[in-house]
Amino acid sequence: MGLLDKLSGWLGLRKKEVNVLCLGLDNSGKTTIINQLKPSNTQEQEIVPTIGFNIEKFKSSSLLFTVFDMSGQNRYRNLWEHYYKESHAIIFVVDSSDKLRMVVAKEELDTLLNHEDIRCKKLPMLFFANKMDLQDSMSSIRVSQMLCLENIKDKPWHICDSNAIKGEGLQEGLDWLQGEVFNNKTVTLGYKGREGQVKLCSECQFTHAY
Amino acid sequence: MIKKFDKKDEESGSGSNPFQHLEKSAVLQEARIFNETPINPRRCLHILTKIIYLLNQGEHFGTTEATEAFFAMTRLFQSNDQTLRRMCYLTIKEMANISEDVIIVTSSLTKDMTGKEDVYRGPAIRALCRITDTTMLQAIERYMKQAIVDKVPSVSSSALVSSLHMVKMSYDVVKRWVNEAQEAASSDNIMVQYHALGLLYHLRKNDRLAVTKMLNKFTKSGLKSPFAYCMLIRIASKLLDETEAGHDSPLFDFIESCLRNKNEMVVYEAASAIVHMPNCTARELAPAVSVLQLFCSSPKAALRYAAVRTLNKVAMKHPSAVTACNLDLENLITDSNRSIATLAITTLLKTGSESSVDRLMKQISSFVSEISDEFKVVVVQAISALCQKYPRKHSVMMNFLSNMLRDDGGFDYKRAIVDCIISIIEENPESKETGLAHLCEFIEDCEHTVLATKILHLLGKEGPRTPQPSKYIRFIFNRVVLESEAVRAAAVSALAKFGAQNDDLCFAFLDDEVRDRATFYMNVLQQKQKALNAAYIFNGLSVSIPGLEKSLHQYTLDPSEKPFDMKSVPLATTPITEQKTEIAPVATSKLPEKLAPSRQDIYQEQLAAVPEFQGLGPLFKSSEPVQLTEAETEYVVRCIKHTFARHMVFQFDCTNTLNDQLLQKLTASPTVSPVPATL
Repeated sequence: MGLLDKLSGWLGLRKKEVNVLCLGLDNSGKTTIINQLKPSNTQEQEIVPTIGFNIEKFKSSSLLFTVFDMSGQNRYRNLWEHYYKESHAIIFVVDSSDKLRMVVAKEELDTLLNHEDIRCKKLPMLFFANKMDLQDSMSSIRVSQMLCLENIKDKPWHICDSNAIKGEGLQEGLDWLQGEVFNNKTVTLGYKGREGQVKLCSECQFTHAY
Repeated sequence: MIKKFDKKDEESGSGSNPFQHLEKSAVLQEARIFNETPINPRRCLHILTKIIYLLNQGEHFGTTEATEAFFAMTRLFQSNDQTLRRMCYLTIKEMANISEDVIIVTSSLTKDMTGKEDVYRGPAIRALCRITDTTMLQAIERYMKQAIVDKVPSVSSSALVSSLHMVKMSYDVVKRWVNEAQEAASSDNIMVQYHALGLLYHLRKNDRLAVTKMLNKFTKSGLKSPFAYCMLIRIASKLLDETEAGHDSPLFDFIESCLRNKNEMVVYEAASAIVHMPNCTARELAPAVSVLQLFCSSPKAALRYAAVRTLNKVAMKHPSAVTACNLDLENLITDSNRSIATLAITTLLKTGSESSVDRLMKQISSFVSEISDEFKVVVVQAISALCQKYPRKHSVMMNFLSNMLRDDGGFDYKRAIVDCIISIIEENPESKETGLAHLCEFIEDCEHTVLATKILHLLGKEGPRTPQPSKYIRFIFNRVVLESEAVRAAAVSALAKFGAQNDDLCFAFLDDEVRDRATFYMNVLQQKQKALNAAYIFNGLSVSIPGLEKSLHQYTLDPSEKPFDMKSVPLATTPITEQKTEIAPVATSKLPEKLAPSRQDIYQEQLAAVPEFQGLGPLFKSSEPVQLTEAETEYVVRCIKHTFARHMVFQFDCTNTLNDQLLQKLTASPTVSPVPATL
């Protein structure tokens, strides 16, 4: 990294980069949400099931988001963990009309929270209770109860209703996430370089080889 | 900035390979920077290059480390650097088979392949097809169909070539893309048209009727691409060959019409196809040969080479047609391109008259040291053919060959020369002595064991019958003292043959294999029994070699009082003449090609594996299998009768032809029918 890059980082001229993982079961609307967040001229017309993952980038008022939009299909869920280590925040999308598979979502969430790369980090987690436009959808409160979100004590989390097709509720969630990333001093941001990472590790009492 | 970096690198490296001393573990360690944000494209590019370099050097990557590196690499998709992205495609293709879960990049590649950036689309398709298996192919089928008919040529070509690769894996899916490929075949781009034709042909190649139809269609409508024309010519000549159609068929007319094409490549392809066809009449051949003749005087070296190479190949088949080009070939002898000159001379040797041989040989020996081994072999083969044609010229040839034998050269080259000399000796008794002398000289300093043993065997066979056998004994004796065991064994065998003919020789040696053989022959010689000599030394073994091997093995396993009986070994079924050629390798006790064991040997082995049959002694004879049931029944039973000295064993082979049933508890209850007293 050049000196100019660092300088612009200190002066706040350059936007901070943040890596976000977008997770959730298949058909919960992850790709649609990310698609809505992108600038309108680059949006896709039709959304197909993701195989593997997609990388998308978009800006908010003060951050440059790089989102890893992972596939939610059962056979690809074990591939999520390859991307845990370097993420700064997690967006977890839930299909709030799918009562039946809420337990599956909870199971995946628990596995995620217990993973060694996630457990010791204070990553902000944003939940979208998606598909609010559907008749039989549950409220965000009900969803958070079913997922036992109140048990998450060591990470800042937030749940909001959303309708990804219309884009409702997405901005609210993103604003929260942005605020958290800014306030959360321990989250390593792109331009900080090595010192930031070392600090993070000494806090979580884990030695990682860098 | 990149330029500056390159310059510095050049100066410090002074032309040597900058990747020479790469360590796999160090490179994989470096690959961790893929995980850093933001991405540094230049550094990542360099590391990816190192990884690909290592992979191509044959470095083995374990699944875990490969997968780890692969997943780190997938993060690079967030960079928009074009070079880096294309390097990622290359890495994906290289690691497709060694890393797990490569399927993870499917969506990213699909996005690139349908995206706006044309530079990404073609390579993304190629990478995608490498990581896709049959089950996943359905998911991307729609995109592939679109890509095949894409208006950007590179995209369309990539899709077509990738489809061609997929045909091997999932023929049924790719078959559904025929309409798209058909459309691409009418493209204006020469490469797209060629690739489309290739795909269409490979989809139909098992259906001769469909291929004929396709050929008719394209030969009528005409194509733009010369590559596609060449392909059509090849398909057409293959079809002609398969159907054995006469030369009045429209396909032949098509090939002939291609001789008048504007493009040289097409003209050459057509000429070469006609010349290589079996049973062509002189009239059909003439236009093709005259085209090749024209190419011989072309200013383009590639065309001259192609023409003279083709003429060289068919020189023996159509000597009269090729003789017509002799004048042009003479001009090529002094061509600055050595390959062309060599081929021209060897062609002339094949077709030329006896009088010109001396001149040509002189010409070729002036630059034989400058050409590569591959062409030297061509020269040797030409000489070999020439010797059969003009046996009287053998002294010139022999001189030339011995000179070549003295030069440096690889195994194939030397073997060609040795074979050539041996064949001359066999056909030409006059040349025997000079030939053997040259070969003797050769084995004095020969690094190829196989050739040395071969020559020693020949010396053993021919040497004793020459007027002065003692001349060769010195050479053979040198081998016995100096060489590796295989050669020594062969040398001793050869010496024994001399000894059997001339009684005045005696030897003592000290090494395992060599000593055993030496004592064996010593014993035989001491007994001075001409009959025995004849049996053991000249006739070789008349028993089947696997059988002998097995019996000897058995004999050493359970040692008994009585000596090993050669007669218990089943007699060989192979004819004696063939057996003779096997003696030399046997003498070295290193069988280069294993003899297929006879049927009886197989049975004996099978029976020996059954514990109840072990006390029965050697198998005397096994009958041919006799079918006891009809061939189409549910259970096919056949019987083989094995005769031992005191026992008879019936082997019932019961084959279950039903898929969903299991045969259990089979019993055989033989009923002995009353035997007529006369038997």
